[in-house]
Amino acid sequence: MGKMWVIATNTFREALRKKTLYILLVVALVAIGTSRFFSFLAAQDELKMIKDVSFATIEFFGAILAIFTAMGGVSGEIEKKTIYTLLAKPITRKNFIIGKFLGQSMVILLNAILISLFFIGLLISKKAVPDMEIYKSLLLIYIELLMIGAISLAVATFATDAFNIILSFFLFITGNLSVYFKQVIERTENIIFKGLGYMLYNIIPNYENFNIRDQVVVGVNVSWQYVGQTILYGVMYIVIAVLVGIYFFQKREV
Amino acid sequence: MPLLKVTGLSKVFQLGRNKTVTALNNVNFEVEDGEIFGILGPNGSGKTTCLKLLLGILFPTEGSISIMGKNQFDVEAKSRIGFLPENPYYYEYLCGTEVLNFYGRLFGMPKGLIKERTEYLLKLVNLQDAGKLALRHYSKGMLERIGLASSLINDPKILILDEPTTGLDPIGCKETRDLLVRLKEMGKTILLSSHFLSEVERVCSRIAIFHRGNLLTTGSLSSLLNQYGADNLEDLFVKSIEKYDVELESGKPVAATD
Amino acid sequence: MKNKNWVNLFIAVLLYIPVGFLQVHIDYRRKLEDLEARLMLMPGQVAGSLVLSGFRGVAADLLWLNIEELWHQGHTYKLLPMFESVAWLQPRYITVWAVGGWHMAYNIYASTQDQKEKKYWYEQGAAFLKKGIAYNPEQYDLYFELGWTYYNKGEDFANAVKYLEKAVKFPCPDYVKSLLAHAYENNDQVDKAVEQWTRVLNTGFESVAKRALKVIREEGAFTPTRRRRLGMGMED
Repeated sequence: MGKMWVIATNTFREALRKKTLYILLVVALVAIGTSRFFSFLAAQDELKMIKDVSFATIEFFGAILAIFTAMGGVSGEIEKKTIYTLLAKPITRKNFIIGKFLGQSMVILLNAILISLFFIGLLISKKAVPDMEIYKSLLLIYIELLMIGAISLAVATFATDAFNIILSFFLFITGNLSVYFKQVIERTENIIFKGLGYMLYNIIPNYENFNIRDQVVVGVNVSWQYVGQTILYGVMYIVIAVLVGIYFFQKREV
Repeated sequence: MPLLKVTGLSKVFQLGRNKTVTALNNVNFEVEDGEIFGILGPNGSGKTTCLKLLLGILFPTEGSISIMGKNQFDVEAKSRIGFLPENPYYYEYLCGTEVLNFYGRLFGMPKGLIKERTEYLLKLVNLQDAGKLALRHYSKGMLERIGLASSLINDPKILILDEPTTGLDPIGCKETRDLLVRLKEMGKTILLSSHFLSEVERVCSRIAIFHRGNLLTTGSLSSLLNQYGADNLEDLFVKSIEKYDVELESGKPVAATD
Repeated sequence: MKNKNWVNLFIAVLLYIPVGFLQVHIDYRRKLEDLEARLMLMPGQVAGSLVLSGFRGVAADLLWLNIEELWHQGHTYKLLPMFESVAWLQPRYITVWAVGGWHMAYNIYASTQDQKEKKYWYEQGAAFLKKGIAYNPEQYDLYFELGWTYYNKGEDFANAVKYLEKAVKFPCPDYVKSLLAHAYENNDQVDKAVEQWTRVLNTGFESVAKRALKVIREEGAFTPTRRRRLGMGMED
């Protein structure tokens, strides 16, 4: 555990010292800040706009950061050849991958929480104290981002950067559209296609599960049961991704 | 019992569907406790591949490796090894002290000991004034020296150095050689890979000559010079390669001589 | 090391089984709590949805800004597809249904002199509100909007009663309850009107309810017959 933590803190520190994190953070804050300028709208509509833009920003920029941090974690080390000195140390490859995941998770969460604090501050400045539903939605976004990072990390253990970017963004889009895919499968009559469709639906990461924003922004309540189930889904998927990453990294020659 | 023993080690890389490259072919050698063992060979002879196999970075196709009685993946064995790769790259956003601290923690060393070793090693490699400077501001020579310091952070029993003087100026090379001799006097066992013959000649007690993935010969310099009728190491190097090429052409099995 | 490595992959694959079961539960809850985005196979909009995915909210807001802009510029008819688009993106956004329905049944209605067209837009507004109700069946808002449209615009008190009765089943402001009582009167359901006015006595519309009950007792309810006798009509 100690050595995993050493890798994690080093990953975190490296990310903090790079400019990428700050650039993304500033762009995200500017994006949210622009929603403040729509004060000509009715108050309710302006609040809705702030919430919509903020949630979308946290998710989108969080996803970009998650994918690039994960890629840098493995392929970055291989490219820079720091991997040689690392693997020569008394640390197992399994611990390396878990440490990398923990480190990148800290980076992803820090970024997401900072943007969230700005968002909440903006709401409070408009005298609209965020209710519990806002926090539920934020919590689900955080888990979603960790999941995106874990999957990207797993792919980085066996694929090139270019492939990783394409696959990660492809999964991000399909994962958000999976509900439409499911509705199409439900209308399919062919049993074989239906079965294959459901199998595919369950295999691909279902990011739409984490999306309760459309309801939260208009004040609809979402149950803790739903939130809990979705968090569990995210955690299990993260475990799957990390295990896959460990499997491929243990076979990888660098 | 030798500190390091390599038996029947082979490594074949798969390049495409039907294309393979034999980077190492049936290599056997031993490294005794307290000696400086040199691995010589031209570029592409398999030296670095051999070292990577010893460190568990690559997986052997055949053969076995024993490091202090354990296999190369054993965490305990790795905790007694120090490694300096060729052209070391480091986390450019860390400073010298942080790099040593990071590696020290990976060895599970206590904080106090890491601090002590860091101060000592930075002085040893003449970087005591650059400890707080980020590595991206280091010169090539400074990077080699911090690399050497990193390889010594855990006070290793075995030091594995891959081309430690590449890119160093003559003064840097001399300093490195002197350091190696001092380390040997401290009881360290050193496995040194190089294609600089003069360097190997000056510090190594025994050498191994690689060529095209094969281990041509191993032994002390004096015994090998005698065996091949060579005047110096360069002569020995050339003669051993010529012998290999001749035997290969004539179809004779090429075996390493000790 | 290699021999035991397959266990990692094996466990990862095995974990897909509980993940699959969990997904079934999540899908069920998404349907139950109405969290699921709907696939609406409208031509030209499917491609849009494929791009938007997680940005539906932002897209809806940008379209809403466009609506505001066009409204202030007086482009009455251009607004219509935009209402549809915003409603399609975020069907739980009640404002878009309410404003859209009002826009059709009131603004566009008022902008034309042709009676057939007026009728058409009144019906379009009601239909739009009904669609909104289908997506938001558990809130009073759109039942009220539709009930008010029938009451105020169409003088269709039967339908007004029908929808206002649904509205009061959910937590709603007092004016909704008061309007239902008026609707009962206008629909010739005097007994129900009295009952409803009695309920309204316990609300902020107490004075209105007291006066209404007094009028019903002393002069009679505001039924259509009485209104005709008094020469009263509904205001445009």
